[in-house]
Amino acid sequence: MNGAQHILEAFHRHNISTVFGYPGGCIMPLYDALVDDVGVEHVLCRHEQGCALAADGYARASGKLGVCIATSGPGATNLITGVANAHRDSIPMLVITGQVPSGLIGTDAFQETDVLGMTLGIVKHSYLIGDADSLPAIMEEAIELAQSGRPGPVWIDIPKDLLLTDVADTPFPKPEPQHTGCPDLAEALAMLRAARKPLLYSGGGISLGHAEDSFRTFAETSALPAVVTLKGIGNPGKHSPYNLGMLGMHGSRAANKAVDECDLLLVIGARLDDRATGNLAGFAPNAKMIHIDADAAEINKLRPADLAIRGDLNETLEALTGALKDKPLAISDWQKQCRTWHTTGGFQAADNDDPMAPITGPAFIRQLSRIAPDDTVIACDVGQHQMWVAQHYEFDHPRHHLTSGGLGTMGFGLPAAIGAQFADRNGTVINVTGDGSFMMNAQELATIRRYNLPVKLIVMDNQCLGMVRQQQELFYNNRESQINLDDNPDFVAMARAFDIPALHIERTDQIRRGIETILAFNGPMLLHVAISREENVWPIVKPGASNREMIDETRRTSPANKEHVA
Amino acid sequence: MNPKADISTPSYTLNCRMSQEAAALERLCQVVRIRGFRIARMAVESAGEHLDIALTLEGTRPIAMLQSQLEKLHTVAEVALEGSAAIRSRIA
Repeated sequence: MNGAQHILEAFHRHNISTVFGYPGGCIMPLYDALVDDVGVEHVLCRHEQGCALAADGYARASGKLGVCIATSGPGATNLITGVANAHRDSIPMLVITGQVPSGLIGTDAFQETDVLGMTLGIVKHSYLIGDADSLPAIMEEAIELAQSGRPGPVWIDIPKDLLLTDVADTPFPKPEPQHTGCPDLAEALAMLRAARKPLLYSGGGISLGHAEDSFRTFAETSALPAVVTLKGIGNPGKHSPYNLGMLGMHGSRAANKAVDECDLLLVIGARLDDRATGNLAGFAPNAKMIHIDADAAEINKLRPADLAIRGDLNETLEALTGALKDKPLAISDWQKQCRTWHTTGGFQAADNDDPMAPITGPAFIRQLSRIAPDDTVIACDVGQHQMWVAQHYEFDHPRHHLTSGGLGTMGFGLPAAIGAQFADRNGTVINVTGDGSFMMNAQELATIRRYNLPVKLIVMDNQCLGMVRQQQELFYNNRESQINLDDNPDFVAMARAFDIPALHIERTDQIRRGIETILAFNGPMLLHVAISREENVWPIVKPGASNREMIDETRRTSPANKEHVA
Repeated sequence: MNPKADISTPSYTLNCRMSQEAAALERLCQVVRIRGFRIARMAVESAGEHLDIALTLEGTRPIAMLQSQLEKLHTVAEVALEGSAAIRSRIA
């Protein structure tokens, strides 16, 4: 068995059945081995960035390892944005690239790049294989490492000659999974019981720790008012009476108010990202903080925790639930206050009674949320539409909301939707995108067509880079700079060129029929939604400002908003 | 943060042990740089399958933040701030 065949054998052993890749010179031995392998489905995307982002979407939607493959040089460099995206959002991913033959490394050979060197900052770990016999142990270690602790991408760069070299059939040590166990929670419980206004603040770490169920049970049992980060959306569920929704720059007034007023913040699986906290000096000013996270480096990184807990998330949450089950927290006044804030300061999007009125982003997303099946996966891109989805789509599970949180990668949504559709071939998967983001990976329409994936594409087209335009309007004296996209192609014709049917809507009375048409269609379909160029995402916190300084539409002309923002 | 040091910039000495592997030192130095520290002195000794690295660092951010980021590196076995005990050991 040569190195290439061993890689496929390792895929089988770890139940890796779907990989996303693009062939080329130095990875050809692996593609040659794939010819004889019927157990691994290789998805041929049309750009390596599409491969990496599809693997990312597959991992987010399924909770499994995403795998992407490319050749050396430009194949590897094209992967970089997708791998960085996975790194920033801690997505488990295995990246395999071919490298020029061992003897040619360092000679500026054709399609040689220093992949190991240029990717150090965007991987959890990486390897350059130096001899074929090390490959089996490294494959095992890489697959375990990508998924354990705080997950992330692990990159293996393999010289072409080693893919063709026989691998010694000797036993190799299998890495032991780390188990951190359940810490002592007495102090945390004492702090929870002493608090009058405790608030639950959760993020993407809940899903990364496969702790969605235990978190939901804890949220229900504790009855703590809860806010979520962008990546935490879907927790603790749309039916939870204590769910205040997303906090932060585009969070709800209710969520940010609750953070501002709370006296104890229970942070679980969140890293206090600047988009969520705003100016840290003004963040939760009256609160003590308990921080529960799998990554010790996140503790005290941005704000000192009064109590830090590192342990198995499921065990920790189950222990907390057990302790609170028989003696609930006495916080009824606080719960009532938060519900009032949610009623008056939650996300609102009025349906327009005028059937001929132009479509607004929030109203469209509200309709989509009402019509789409409960288990629909929404893969967003980045920009205004991403925030409208976060604000107005009611998710009931975090794996139904795929969004590029840390890196903010325009072009993420379409390949991520492809990955999600491979994770569940019969599920409903919708890519909600903007006209700017859509054009960044539009070549993957060919992948959708090739595999006849029933992905639904919704392009919210305002003929500009809306989020940039909005910030230029609000914070740069309305000096528009390089945001105009009014020469976009005809997206309906473009989809049809890929043999994907498409339709266009622009009026409020067309929303329902448009959504129902694409959902009912047996195959991929694109819905082009024309929206106003001038529409903004509200509320907004100026970058660098405190969350209590939220701006809404009525305050948009405030002189304070016109200050230059670095 | 600008890692450029001035006369008031705090200085620390960290002793690290990590596995010998391709790009080991680059990986370590990359984390030091991106987390806001400047390497004023660096001494490396090979010890079997390990490298022992003594780093004199300058930076205004909390050194504990850098320590915890270095400890996350898969092949780093130990990080000790001179004058304090090693905060963690791990079999690489």
